[in-house]
Amino acid sequence: MNKFATVIMAAAAATLLVAGCSKSDSSKIKVGFSQVGAESDWRKASTESIKGEAAKRPNIELTFSDAQQKQENQIKAIRNFITKGVDVISFSPVVATGFEDVLKEAKEAGIPVVLFDRAVDVSEPDLYKSLIGSDFVEEGRRAGRWVLDNVGENANVAELVGTVGSAPAIDRKKGFEEIIKDHPGIKIIKSQSGDFTRAKGKEVMESFLKSPEADQINVLFAHNDDMALGAIQAIEEAGKKPGKDIIIISIDGVKSMFQAILDGKANCTVECNPLIGAQLFDVIEKIHAGETVPSYIPSQEGVYDTKNITKEVVDGRMY
Amino acid sequence: MKKFKFPMRYVPISATILVFFVVYLIGIISFDNFGSPKVFLDLFIDNAYLGIAVIGTALVILTGGIDLSVGSIIAFTSILIAKMIESGCNALWAIALALVIGILFGMLQGWLIHCFSLPPFLVTLAGMFFIRGCGFIVSEKSIPIKNDRVFDFIQNNLTVTLGKGLHLRFIVILYIVVLVIAIVFSQRTRAGRSIYAIGDNELAATLMGIPVGRTKILTYTIAGFCSALAGVVYAIYLKAGNPLNCVGLEMDAIAAVVIGGTLLTGGVGYVFGSLFGVLVLGLIQTLIIFDGRINSWWTRIIVGLLVLAFIFMQNLITKISKSKSKSH
Amino acid sequence: MNKTSNKFRHLVWPLVSLALLLLFNALFTKNFFKIEIKKQDSAQAVQALSGTAESPRPGTSWITPENYEAAGDSAEAAANAASENAGAAANAASDAAGQQQAVPEKKDGNGVSIFGYYLYGTPIDILNQGSKVMVLAIGMTLVIATGGIDISVGAVMAIAGAIAALLISMLDAGNCPGASMGPAFYWIIPVAAALVLSSIAGFWNGMLVAGFGIQPMVATLVLMVAGRGVAQLITDGQIITFDNPGLVFLCNGHALFLPFSVWIVVTMYVIAGLLTRKTAFGLFIESVGNNERASRYAGIEARRIKWLTYVICGFCAGVAGLLAASNIKCADSNNAGLNLELDAILATVIGGTSMAGGRFFLSGSLVGAILIQTLTTTMYMKNVSPAIVQVPKAMVVIIVCLLQSPVFRAKVLSVFASKAAKGGVQ
Repeated sequence: MNKFATVIMAAAAATLLVAGCSKSDSSKIKVGFSQVGAESDWRKASTESIKGEAAKRPNIELTFSDAQQKQENQIKAIRNFITKGVDVISFSPVVATGFEDVLKEAKEAGIPVVLFDRAVDVSEPDLYKSLIGSDFVEEGRRAGRWVLDNVGENANVAELVGTVGSAPAIDRKKGFEEIIKDHPGIKIIKSQSGDFTRAKGKEVMESFLKSPEADQINVLFAHNDDMALGAIQAIEEAGKKPGKDIIIISIDGVKSMFQAILDGKANCTVECNPLIGAQLFDVIEKIHAGETVPSYIPSQEGVYDTKNITKEVVDGRMY
Repeated sequence: MKKFKFPMRYVPISATILVFFVVYLIGIISFDNFGSPKVFLDLFIDNAYLGIAVIGTALVILTGGIDLSVGSIIAFTSILIAKMIESGCNALWAIALALVIGILFGMLQGWLIHCFSLPPFLVTLAGMFFIRGCGFIVSEKSIPIKNDRVFDFIQNNLTVTLGKGLHLRFIVILYIVVLVIAIVFSQRTRAGRSIYAIGDNELAATLMGIPVGRTKILTYTIAGFCSALAGVVYAIYLKAGNPLNCVGLEMDAIAAVVIGGTLLTGGVGYVFGSLFGVLVLGLIQTLIIFDGRINSWWTRIIVGLLVLAFIFMQNLITKISKSKSKSH
Repeated sequence: MNKTSNKFRHLVWPLVSLALLLLFNALFTKNFFKIEIKKQDSAQAVQALSGTAESPRPGTSWITPENYEAAGDSAEAAANAASENAGAAANAASDAAGQQQAVPEKKDGNGVSIFGYYLYGTPIDILNQGSKVMVLAIGMTLVIATGGIDISVGAVMAIAGAIAALLISMLDAGNCPGASMGPAFYWIIPVAAALVLSSIAGFWNGMLVAGFGIQPMVATLVLMVAGRGVAQLITDGQIITFDNPGLVFLCNGHALFLPFSVWIVVTMYVIAGLLTRKTAFGLFIESVGNNERASRYAGIEARRIKWLTYVICGFCAGVAGLLAASNIKCADSNNAGLNLELDAILATVIGGTSMAGGRFFLSGSLVGAILIQTLTTTMYMKNVSPAIVQVPKAMVVIIVCLLQSPVFRAKVLSVFASKAAKGGVQ
């Protein structure tokens, strides 16, 4: 056993010696990007937007990593980006907490960080240079305002919440409740997590539709399009007309949801724009050139309903 | 003169170490900065919690059992600590309570498994659901640990700086200490040897007068403790608790144990091997992150294939040594 | 009498738990048992039959049992119904005539029913949503009976759904051989491909376990770890949606008042039951599970039996994967079948099948699956967060397992006996 240990030690020492004798092409801006995962159409669209934009720009060298929805993977990716010596790190955090240490490390190594899509909860705000993306609370508010404007003061809302504990689920709920707080006629009578997936969205909606309050539900607020699309199926199976008997509002704005609105099966989707590749790399180039950038850059987003969705809009939708 | 023969039982663990260095070399050749000592150090920082959890899993697997509750206990422990600190409790008390819960939970699982001869797979599976749900009861949101004296102390005073950007963190030191204790425990103590005996042949162990029940319950208790300690390390690592974290970690842990050269039927293997099992898993991931072009789902596929390769190798070794013992 | 009671004894505890849960719902969940008979939406029925999406005629006939039974009649009726209101008589008639065999599978799939009536209510939902776990549990029961385990079924489900969705999207686009069959028939290709692929996955597991003698848990761990990655690569990480009526019908259509998926479960259960109880296969499985070496000495091809159970389990996972994809009309490789292997194992064990092998109860597994789904649905109806559902689920599992455990019973009995003895002395 002793001999064995010596061999290992020697080998380890040898490998460490081989270290640090390679060079890299310094003309390009090396960007490390860590994506949450590939859990939805929306996420996939954002991944494609980033990869596509990077391929278009000759001065960008992208290292892309998919965290498979695990924070542990994401932290490993960021650490490895630091070691690899990228010029800029960008990532879309899985959750808000737990990134402080690794971001400090990036700061220590002098690598600027740009967040995309979601914010992180850190004690020193200078740990990241900029956040590009959506304001989940604002999205919830927009959905709430749409209900107020289009449904009126009397609405019994069933809510399909996202993954329990996730940032978009918490914030979208908060924003929506903020708006309806002052309107006693609008009540959330059912609220349950559908895990952001179609299968769960459908399953939970089925149970809503069989509850004693089923007949009162006239508005469905889903935290993402996938759950809403699942719920539409459940509503149809119950013999009700989605979009008419039950008004459907969701968030994200994916192509299949646009199609559903065009078909009259849903009413509104609050856009949460994933196509921010161009915006992201513009910011990265600026940071690399030493310019200052605003700490929060909202992405361009709208609210889509039957009024502004036409066949052309649907066909032109990238995702 | 007796020719030196490499003992068969060292083959799997040497293969693991070989794989580790081969992967490392591939990385160094293909990528800039892969050879930097920071990669090596990061491997420990990022996998310390996994490593500690794997120690417990390895011991349980050595007895021929299995523990699926690992990932859930880590998540529960981290969120419990974060929640208690948030509500003004001293961090040391929170950590102590979390460890005690881990120990008791492991003991309960061991007791159910031994006393009612329920299958370990099932009991720990139920345990996994139970403790994960408990984590959500503590808090559905992730909670950051901020401005806590104990955590700041660990961060500022217990980190050894080796060079620019190179920090030997407390959690890495802790992992190595736990690993050494576990190695000594499994190789040099009566209880440790009993674990091997039970894993090899439970009936024979009983007949030899080894306290099978006590040892098994002890092993699950240690596993519970290791998982809870991994949770503490995780909380230190992230400075946060999140009930959603570490889903499916138990499978990574089992894969690491298998790659580390331990036979899943029990009785054969070394706790030391689990270190390299963990490092190989981490290194493959690092390699794929460094590359940044191939789909990261390949990590899973490669790990799957690696597990398969090791299983085949072990199978072969078992067969060879069996035929040898027959011919003697 | 004793014999029958023995035969059903294993069902007692799962059934008691299920009954308690249902009783709880009957008392505390309003409308839990409300079952409505829904009529087929006439517009859909006409569409369903004629295959034309145009011009629904409100308030007219749905298909009645009589005219379904005579298949020719039904096509005629459909043609009539369609031609009356659509005006495109010739087209519709030829359509309907050409597709009469695909009658129940036509259009949308939603609520298309052979009899024009279907039941609607929470218990039906439980059956429909539970169908995936029930199908998985059938295969899992056989594997566990040989003393094995298959933890790769969730990943295999994802693969099956992924390949089916990929093929159907290729067929819809017309760049795959077989597209000329038309959407009413070519859905058979992806279904067959998914089932073949999942059986191959099962064959692979069987090869590792029976062929190379690797412990089942590790052998199937390989596919569990790698399988989802493979599914992701098949779909290129995308969620592929489809609306092929045939594929959608599997988990959304209705037949004979019930969701079609329930009939799939029933069919598979009957086949598995016949296979294991009316042939020697079941006996062989039990004997292999009890003592592999002894059964080999007795002349049973133990390896082949084990191998076969893994293939069956893979096949079942394929069916479950198709159901999962069909249910939401898309293949979601990331989430399909996630952790369902655990539910399937739990269902099997709750149903009285011993994890040590040697004894199996298919009916028990189905009851176990229903029990788990009822628990989940109850929590949804009671507005309990699904994350917390895991706690009661774990407790039910442990309690049922304890009740099934002979050791536990013996210990409890001895406690009672000693108390009784003490009571007697006093």
